Amino acid sequence: MFMLGDFIRVLRAAEVRISTAESIEAAAIVETIGLGDRQLMKVALSQALAKTDEEKEAFNACFDDYFGAMLDAVKANDGSTSNDEQDKASLSDDNQDAQSGNENEDDAIANDNLADMLLNHDEAGLSARLAQAASAAQMSDVRLFTQQGLFTRRIMEAMGLADVEAAIQNARNSGDGVYEANLRQARQSLFEMSRDFVEKQISMRTANSGKLVREEALSRVKLSNLDRSDMHIMRGLIEKLAKRLATLHARRQKRSKRGLLDVRKTLRKNQSHDGLLIDLKWRHVEVSRPRLITMCDVSGSVAAVSRFLLMFLYSLDEVMPRTRSFAFSHACGEITDLFERKDPEAALTEALMRHGGGSTDYGKSFTDLAHMVMDDLDHKTTLMVLGDGRSNYGDPGHEILREMSNRCRRVVWLNPESKALWDTGDSEMKRLGAYCHSVQVCNSVRHLERVLDDMLRLSI
Amino acid sequence: MDTITETAVTAIETISRGFADIGYICDQDIATALFLARQLQKPLLVEGPPGVGKTELAKAAAEYLDLSLIRLQCYEGLDESKALYEWQYGKQLLYTQVLREKLADLMEGAKGLDQSMERLNGFEDVFFSEQFLLPRPLLSALKSDDGCVLLIDEIDKADNEFEAFLLEILSDYQISVPELGTIKAKVPPLVFLTSNNTRELSDALKRRCLHLYIPFPEPSREAEIIATRVPDLDARLRTHLVDFVAAIRRQDLKKPPAVSETIDWARALILLNAKDLSPDFVASTLNVLLKFRSDIDIIEPQLTSLIRESAPATDPRGV
Repeated sequence: MFMLGDFIRVLRAAEVRISTAESIEAAAIVETIGLGDRQLMKVALSQALAKTDEEKEAFNACFDDYFGAMLDAVKANDGSTSNDEQDKASLSDDNQDAQSGNENEDDAIANDNLADMLLNHDEAGLSARLAQAASAAQMSDVRLFTQQGLFTRRIMEAMGLADVEAAIQNARNSGDGVYEANLRQARQSLFEMSRDFVEKQISMRTANSGKLVREEALSRVKLSNLDRSDMHIMRGLIEKLAKRLATLHARRQKRSKRGLLDVRKTLRKNQSHDGLLIDLKWRHVEVSRPRLITMCDVSGSVAAVSRFLLMFLYSLDEVMPRTRSFAFSHACGEITDLFERKDPEAALTEALMRHGGGSTDYGKSFTDLAHMVMDDLDHKTTLMVLGDGRSNYGDPGHEILREMSNRCRRVVWLNPESKALWDTGDSEMKRLGAYCHSVQVCNSVRHLERVLDDMLRLSI
Repeated sequence: MDTITETAVTAIETISRGFADIGYICDQDIATALFLARQLQKPLLVEGPPGVGKTELAKAAAEYLDLSLIRLQCYEGLDESKALYEWQYGKQLLYTQVLREKLADLMEGAKGLDQSMERLNGFEDVFFSEQFLLPRPLLSALKSDDGCVLLIDEIDKADNEFEAFLLEILSDYQISVPELGTIKAKVPPLVFLTSNNTRELSDALKRRCLHLYIPFPEPSREAEIIATRVPDLDARLRTHLVDFVAAIRRQDLKKPPAVSETIDWARALILLNAKDLSPDFVASTLNVLLKFRSDIDIIEPQLTSLIRESAPATDPRGV
């Protein structure tokens, strides 16, 4: 009756990470505390299985959903075990008696007829039946929401739908109209109960696997083709990736702080100890915080990618605190302060409003940028340009880009167009790319992650 | 209720009562965690906001079980020579100096460098024996004869490497010292790890532990705690105080007041002989409860309303 393995599968579907070792531990816990006290079991299992805030929350929800019906059923069953044997023996011939008005029958026996259980609203008995039926129908195999109808049917049949149908038929034959109507209603409520149960089970087991698949797919999809309705999933995804990058690189920065043994300094320092190396000196590695200047095209086609690049960057402020960002289309303007004051979503909207629209003018935009940042460019600065390099047959501004490129550590150009389209029409990638240290295609979250990862790696 | 459950429930209640006797009020969560940690011999990782009594829990457990408490305070840069063991270099040097003549005797008659080295090799183990080993908290916990409570405090402050280093102890209660081999615990200690969640702990560590989250207590339980710790405080004032603190915690603060601060404040009330919570009085002692200027600035303007809202219903001045 009690299926710990199945429960753990449900938990995993709800993004609670459970290792095999932990499931073994959970089994040991169940052995230690028994099944008698639901609250105690909830507390104990949550200590072994759910190990972060979010996981505890998910665990509590799953536990209530999963065992809510199940444990009641176990209890109801335990209570009536003594009667069970005789019930089963008398079940077959009692069917007729019960509805022919034989009220003197023992309650426990009457309980076993599904129709009567429904008519008497015997909640405990019904949920016990339901739980039994669920395991008979192999509810734990459900994978898709399209299986809802199938499983509802299976469960109703396992609970004894045939009996109810037979009872309805009998009532019709004997002309008992009221009783027949009651039974029909009972059948309807049985259907509703089973459907609700199946619905809940399905949502419990499949909701999150769907989300994971979606996230996986979204991280590959071209950002410009993204559906508006996927925005919120995207945002969660980006935060998740940014957090991962941040922890990874925060750790690396810390390590490089520790440094190597500085042999020369150590020997000199220890001359006074007769050459015994007691006081060790370490060579310190300079940890250079990367300084990033981004320049994003916010006109038309490139805007979608810019949006996510900026969102990504500002989720990374833990490891890249000194980022300055600029938006350009026909001219270039700084948007750093927008992100400092507002939440990313609002800041983005305002940035697009302020600088978006108009046809792209690279020459003017680079000149504007040079005015604003030329003095700040140094050997620690990385300049990142996001744009399609289409200057509408105007001046691409490569001379100014060269000048900036000479001053900073790296210039990275990200182009959302696929490589085949570069240098076609008004695209100036060849001329502009000449002054960049790296030119990459970037049009999905996966690309973004890789680009930023590389940048963090190189800047240390 | 089956018998296994009954035994478990009784055991948990016993723990709960035992802790109450030594002045630590614990709810079902905590008592269950203690029970399981003992039964399954698993380390217990305790998380929660600062000041909810995580460290106190380990101390109380040591007192309750009548075991010695060995504490390892973690900090950035903590390494195995400070946590596990260290060779006593000074002692080793001193001994070689004192025994120099003895060594000369032993070396007598040895021909050439090779032979002397060979003889010396024979004594090497003497200098890397347990005699020269300085046990640090982890090693002393493993070596203690009748078990102990090992408290690894604020594990989140230590580096990742140290966390990884702990894994062997946490899963097998043993540790490998290159010079001596593997040292296994005589009696597995009851291990508590505490964390303030300043960083995410690794999955490997979490997997090896039971996980207990202690939130800020319910007002009723906090009242119980105050009653145990500050028994002189008037009951009506106690309820008011606890509800007031709960109301403060609901505000958006940098650092909400911890249980330990509630206790301090209750003591302050007694010292200052306060009869009830008047806005003036609260304003002047708010710095016991709140430790950031910005937090005080948020609470101060709302003092009167917060005090009135949290006043007990029976209070005639209440509504």
